[in-house]
Amino acid sequence: MKKLALSDDILMQVEKPARYIGNEVNIVKKDPSQVDIRVAMCFPDVYEIGMSHLGIQILYEKFNRREDVYCERVYSPWPDLSKIMKDQKIPLFALETQDPIKDFDFLGITLQYEMCYTNILQVLDLSQIPLLSKDRTDDDPIVMGGGPCTYNPEPIADFFDFFFIGEGEMSYEELYDLYKEMKLSGSYSRETFLRTVCKIPGIYVPSLYDVTYKEDGTILDFKPKYDDVPSKVRRVVLTNMDEGEYPMKPIVPFVKATQDRVVLEIQRGCIRGCRFCQAGMVYRPNREKSVELLKKYAKEMLKNTGHEEITLSSLSSSDYSELENLVNFLIDDCADEGLNISLPSLRIDAFSLDVMAKVQDIRKSSLTFAPEAGSQRMRNVINKGLTVDDILNGATMAFKGGWQKVKLYFMLGLPTETDEDMMAIPQLANEVAAAYYETVPKEQRLGKCQITMSTSFFVPKPFTPFQWAEMYEPGEYLRRAKVVNDTMKAQLNHKSLRYQWHQADVTVLEGVFARGDRKVSSAILYAYEHGALFDAWTDFFDLDLWKEAFEQCGISVPFYAYRKRELDEILPWDFIDVGVTKEFFIREWNNAMKESVTPNCKARCSGCGCKSYGGGICHAV
Amino acid sequence: MRYRVKFQKYGVMKFVGHLDIMRYFQKAFRRAALPIRYSEGFNPHQIMSFAAPLGVGITSDGEYMDVDMKEEVLSEDTLQKLDSVMVDGMKILEFRALNDSAKKAMTAVRAASYLLYYKEDIFLSKEDLQSKLAAFYGRPEILIIKMTKKSERELDLKPLIFSFEVVELPEVLREESAYSFGLKLCVSTGSTDNIKPELVMEHFHKSAGLEDVSFGIHRVDLYTFDDNEELISLGDVGYDVQ
Ligand code: B12
Ligand code: SF4
Ligand code: SF4
Repeated sequence: MKKLALSDDILMQVEKPARYIGNEVNIVKKDPSQVDIRVAMCFPDVYEIGMSHLGIQILYEKFNRREDVYCERVYSPWPDLSKIMKDQKIPLFALETQDPIKDFDFLGITLQYEMCYTNILQVLDLSQIPLLSKDRTDDDPIVMGGGPCTYNPEPIADFFDFFFIGEGEMSYEELYDLYKEMKLSGSYSRETFLRTVCKIPGIYVPSLYDVTYKEDGTILDFKPKYDDVPSKVRRVVLTNMDEGEYPMKPIVPFVKATQDRVVLEIQRGCIRGCRFCQAGMVYRPNREKSVELLKKYAKEMLKNTGHEEITLSSLSSSDYSELENLVNFLIDDCADEGLNISLPSLRIDAFSLDVMAKVQDIRKSSLTFAPEAGSQRMRNVINKGLTVDDILNGATMAFKGGWQKVKLYFMLGLPTETDEDMMAIPQLANEVAAAYYETVPKEQRLGKCQITMSTSFFVPKPFTPFQWAEMYEPGEYLRRAKVVNDTMKAQLNHKSLRYQWHQADVTVLEGVFARGDRKVSSAILYAYEHGALFDAWTDFFDLDLWKEAFEQCGISVPFYAYRKRELDEILPWDFIDVGVTKEFFIREWNNAMKESVTPNCKARCSGCGCKSYGGGICHAV
Repeated sequence: MRYRVKFQKYGVMKFVGHLDIMRYFQKAFRRAALPIRYSEGFNPHQIMSFAAPLGVGITSDGEYMDVDMKEEVLSEDTLQKLDSVMVDGMKILEFRALNDSAKKAMTAVRAASYLLYYKEDIFLSKEDLQSKLAAFYGRPEILIIKMTKKSERELDLKPLIFSFEVVELPEVLREESAYSFGLKLCVSTGSTDNIKPELVMEHFHKSAGLEDVSFGIHRVDLYTFDDNEELISLGDVGYDVQ
């Protein structure tokens, strides 16, 4: 039997040793000596989170389809093990073969969330790969990044050899072919490889670009060092989702993953275009998978995994045109006893309530609405199509059906927000509670209804119409939360209302990373070297350490996080062509200021630019 | 119809804890598409119960769980189907029907036997080990203080150890062991007087002056009492459906 990279003694000391042993159901086994290219795909967070990521499961399947490639997985060791590995200089290993990552050809890291940045450095460090791309030699693996945070990769640019901008199903064949050819012909060197690879669509090699800054710290110029290096990197997109070859045999972990279920991706991209939402822009255009294919996938994946639960994945499942058909199929044709169908938050209407009543315990479950803003004015600014009537009608219908818990999600600190807009949040919640007491006669009530409001703080993100917006300091965010809280307490139904708000400190960091430039990397490095790790976890997040890091590295938080940008400023991510044009973002910013709503892609095309990809909703009549 | 499933847990699987093994089997039964019975209610779950949870780090040749099937199934065929969806290190050994009168595995289990082996050279010959063991196990009583959450009480280990001897190790364990020999221990297990092998070893090592030696544990089998109060393998309570 396979030898583990860690000794029994170490594994017996750490929490959940099964995170590190591999051997899970449905892993791919290959003889490493029979392949030309070894790839480790990494999610820089704990195993249970990483194993819930669909993207890696898709790429694992795709990459391994090539006979000459063996793709394995690696996740962040939890701090207990991390310390042992660092102290004893045990190199980080891939789960399947337990071989050290440093002997691999590629280390691919998915960048899902900014607060994972120090974990990237941990993975490199434990792998004994130099943290900075410029310090690596021909013997080190090529470190590549992909995923949502590559839409502004600059704060972590120094740590990566290249980024892959767009959907991983594309372009990897060319990448591996090129690498293999260079290796076999003996012409490989890290430098020549990177010089060539930058011409493959979607690939951005940071070291091939020079950035110069103005005196005020903004960018003066961002340009390739050589003529043959593309000045813009265009996001690559899989135009026909049915050609995606979905993994029919996803890996089933021993340790309970956050998503311990079959995840059926029904579509990519969102038709809605909420102005704060990066995912809504950078996954455009909306592309649906055919329902017949999905039905087939559902059956097969349930059989191959033995999961007791299935869920649908997309940015806005209610907009999937065959949703009823698909959900009814799952309920009628897949659901044997013991199968749970967990539905992502759907728009509340007669159909979704009917379905929810079938698949969940109404008494225990709660309804979710994400109006994101309390007043209609503010919702027009952010282009959220949900109206008070939608919410009240939906809630009333649900109360009639027996529900009594409602969750409402909002954001605070959106552009142009006034105190009235903040106060409208608890007012809306109060109206929902009032609707309950009007709808449900006293004798049918099981106590009070529970309306929970939750607010997060707005962080302006690249490639959104709000990318230029100002962001507030933690003190101001907390003041806004207090306005909401005070207003709530003064209301008639306040005993039925609950209010939760997020920590403001993490938000500041997100703000710096989201719109940071290359200079920010020094602070990330500093923070990591002084002990920052697992920053997404409140238990580990150390604000003072980060403050120190920013100070030591001359990173001004107001400059990066809070500052409003001018429309003509060169933004650190401007070299990326995501398909949506800057003209569109400017137009949308202006529409926001005019409180004017833009229709969704199904109602009318607004000419965002993504039609140029030649697929999806833009070409459906 | 109730069935008793016997399985092996080897290699890296020893690091998968009891709760995760339960989840693993729930999914395995679904992959193998076996007609296992579910409980009633809003969240139906498979009717499955394990004999005696195995500690993390311990391998085994004798793990048991009882399952309820909706219909009669053939032992060999079902065993093959379930075995075909196992990962490396997990192997199904028996799939036997139980009579209605048979007690649940969890209540039936009365003893467990283990092989204990030394992972590092501790400068002992087989004869040394034998004489140290004789000095420990030969005593008329082995009094220890057993700490529980609430209290501490004195306990005589001697009657709870059914046998304790030096043996030659099977091939599979030799890779991990510094010696060709090890110890075989059979102790009281179950809802009353549940004795863990680590506890016995701790006191044996103390008496033998062997502090801080690291040893591996392998469970050989679980037993119940037959009508004559003799220990029989938990699996032998069931019968094969042909
Ligand atoms: C499933 C999911 C989770 C799961 C699993 C973790 C994960 N990130 O997958 C759980 C529930 C654990 C989770 C937790 C969180 N999540 Co989440 N999650 C998602 C979700 C719904 C799907 C992710 C997914 O599988 N997408 C589908 C795949 C196919 O797309 P993909 O990841 O982009 O991958 C493709 C390409 O990008 C590329 N690619 C990706 N990585 C790489 C790497 C390489 C080397 C290459 C070549 C290519 C490549 O190839 C893939 C195939 O085309 C997304 C929203 C969405 N629908 O995308 C949010 C999302 C990623 N989550 C988000 C957030 C905020 C969180 C949390 C912070 C929530 C919280 N408050 O706790 C935590 C953070 C945990 C963490 N460490 O990331 C945000 C991230 C926004 C941001 N960047 O700031 C998103 C975008 C949702 C949103 N609209 O805001 N999440
Ligand atoms: S509905 Fe709005 S917030 Fe949700 S994914 Fe689409 S654009 Fe983003
Ligand atoms: S081009 Fe039109 S239809 Fe296509 S994504 Fe943009 S706005 Fe939507």
